[in-house]
Amino acid sequence: MPDAALLARLQFAFTVSFHIIFPTISIGLALFLAVFEGLWLKTKDAVYLQIYKFWLHIFAMAFGVGVVTGIVLSFEFGLGFAKFSKMAGPIIGPLIGLEVLTSFFLEAGFLGIMLFGLNRVGPRLHFFATCMVALGTVLSSSWIMAANSWMQTPDGVAWVNGQLVVTDWWRVIMNPSWLTRLIHMLFSAYLTGSFLIAGVGAWHLLKNKHLAFARRTVSLGLAFAAVLIAGEMFIGDILYGTMAKYQPAKMQAAEGIWDKQSASPAPYLLMIIPDQKNQRNAFEAGVPGLGSIWLTHSLNGRVEGLQNTPVPDQPLMGWVFYGFRMMFLIAFAMFGLAAASLWLRWRGKLFSTRWFLVALVWMTPSGILATLGGWYGSEVGRQPYVIYGLLRTADAISPVPAGSLLTSLMAFIIIYSIIFAAFLVFVMRAIRRGPHEPVDVPVPSGSLKRALRSQIKTSVLEKKQI
Amino acid sequence: MDLPLLSALFLTGALCLYVMLDGFDLGVGALLLFERDEHQRDQMVDAITPTWDGNETWLIMAGVTLLAGFPTAYSVLLPALYVPVVVMLLSLGLRGVSFEFRYQTVKFRPRWDVAFAAGSIFAAFAQGASIGGLIVGVAVEKSTFAGGPFDWLTPFSILFGFTSLAGYTVLGAGWLHLKGEGRTKDFALNSLRWITPAFLLLSTTTCFFAPRIQPAVAGAWSHHVFALIGLAGMFLLTGLGITWRARSSGFSFEIEPFIGGLIMVACTLVGLVLTVTPDIVPFRISVWDAASPTASLVFLLLGVLFVAPVVIGYSAYAYWIFRGKTPKEGWGE
Repeated sequence: MPDAALLARLQFAFTVSFHIIFPTISIGLALFLAVFEGLWLKTKDAVYLQIYKFWLHIFAMAFGVGVVTGIVLSFEFGLGFAKFSKMAGPIIGPLIGLEVLTSFFLEAGFLGIMLFGLNRVGPRLHFFATCMVALGTVLSSSWIMAANSWMQTPDGVAWVNGQLVVTDWWRVIMNPSWLTRLIHMLFSAYLTGSFLIAGVGAWHLLKNKHLAFARRTVSLGLAFAAVLIAGEMFIGDILYGTMAKYQPAKMQAAEGIWDKQSASPAPYLLMIIPDQKNQRNAFEAGVPGLGSIWLTHSLNGRVEGLQNTPVPDQPLMGWVFYGFRMMFLIAFAMFGLAAASLWLRWRGKLFSTRWFLVALVWMTPSGILATLGGWYGSEVGRQPYVIYGLLRTADAISPVPAGSLLTSLMAFIIIYSIIFAAFLVFVMRAIRRGPHEPVDVPVPSGSLKRALRSQIKTSVLEKKQI
Repeated sequence: MDLPLLSALFLTGALCLYVMLDGFDLGVGALLLFERDEHQRDQMVDAITPTWDGNETWLIMAGVTLLAGFPTAYSVLLPALYVPVVVMLLSLGLRGVSFEFRYQTVKFRPRWDVAFAAGSIFAAFAQGASIGGLIVGVAVEKSTFAGGPFDWLTPFSILFGFTSLAGYTVLGAGWLHLKGEGRTKDFALNSLRWITPAFLLLSTTTCFFAPRIQPAVAGAWSHHVFALIGLAGMFLLTGLGITWRARSSGFSFEIEPFIGGLIMVACTLVGLVLTVTPDIVPFRISVWDAASPTASLVFLLLGVLFVAPVVIGYSAYAYWIFRGKTPKEGWGE
């Protein structure tokens, strides 16, 4: 049986990877929901309400899964990493406590109104509820990024009698990587939202259905994407510098180079088979010379490799390299599409260029994949530390037998697979059905009321369309 | 000021709010299993749909307060209760997604309802069994958990698990009596007829065995004789009152059984707090021994002081928006 430390890490990795998918979607969609509802209130154009309701339905499902998988995490620090909890609880605990107070309750309180309250509170107060939920997602990101960034670049604490004690809360929260990483994450979530709504709109355009709905989501999604991807690449470049300063090992691993100094000019590697034991690549392929230009901003600069870091302090190169590469390459594809969208918009062909729409459909889940890739790079790249430079992951685990961890890991995998499969099926079905049909359609046996009501709603909506 | 004690007070408050609020959600979930008619089940779920998320947030609040304020206790309790906590988390997960997912399908809705009910039942049971396991006692050495994965599993903890399930179900039936009309309300009344005496019986049995299994309970009780007699009297009278009213004339006010259920659960919670005070890992580690450094408690408590009143304000407002009877055709969009 694998040892308890590895199982605890696998379990945390699995549950947190699964979880992050859903907040990424709901942070991104919350912004667009606020925008669409705001536009509806301003223009009184029913198409915006139609868009709002369509995406609200998917938002609700993503939010629900995000909530229940998030509860797991707040207990998992103790389930798998008791020694970490004991040492870091006084620091990250209050941060997450403030996250619950300022954000989770805000989201939960106004989510009910957002989902079910339009007829009860009127449009203006309902719009306020939508904005509060969107604000909640931003506050939540701020606190949790403070906690995670503190684990990456700890600051504001001192050792007192073998215990970590906060000396300066301001520096704990405003730790060196917090602000950059927060903006980076928020932009990722908003990009995820942009490509989600643009991709679904593009699919409907290709099917030649729900055209008013589809044109507006494609147009608005791409407008946001164009601004966001430019900002994201700029922020990403700053973050690269920050992390190279505070966690050199992570950035060394990210480039796939082992030698202390790479050849000059350095290649930009795209594929490697790392051989961690012998500190070399069994295979590598890349674009010659691009590494120097891209990473050192010169024609023949050398790039530092992982051997600059002593072997016991090295992260696993493969995960870090492929995590970051996945993120980089998707970001490039996003940049290319955003640039193409500006050109096509100018030429008035945004909604009629087939190859472009097909590409958008393929890019629908791109934000989620890029986010996952980035997080793998970031979290595996921090190893072997759980609090960088202060506490090693191997010293952080719980006194729980490997058998318990293995059993619970399998249980998580089974239940989460069911949840994920259902989520995908329901979201796909909602997308295929398109925006017209109201969302609570399925007719329960024994009563025709719901069916009748939705029939009436549909016909009203269709009339408004005409 | 005694910051550890203040933090413990907030933790207790969050936990008690969780038990009372999500208690009725979980109770309604458990009762789904006893309602054959699908449309009736829709009504039952609708009665808790708009507010369940906020209710469950109190559980996260309690968990995170434990981490922030009492990291030593957090790092002992979670490994000790590994199995029931994982069961609870997975159950809450299945139940939570069922709220949205059951409406997405006609064919599989009964299956999601089973997941909903099973999730509610297992979560309620696991929470009770965890507390029961803590009363029996956790193996602690040098402020670290030093026992095995099934130490918590004893006949007493199983009894405690059923007791909390019954208590939650009383709350759930009371809530349905308040929010439901026609058949839903009748169903709630019928449920109260048998679940209230069951809760009375189970909790009396639990109280009978507790001091015999854990001598420290007897010690603690001897310090609070009058308070506990008062609580027990109030608990029994309320329980008998609900049972009698449900079995005879019915209730004068629709909110009556829900208030009664809340009183019963509150009595149990206060009794429990009196029994374990001042320990945070019962009979092992005290509130002061487990507390975070002052800087952390100050930060947390300042946050609570300024934000918690606002939270309670708009949470109450959300309940106010959805006051009155649950609409027959659901909340709509």
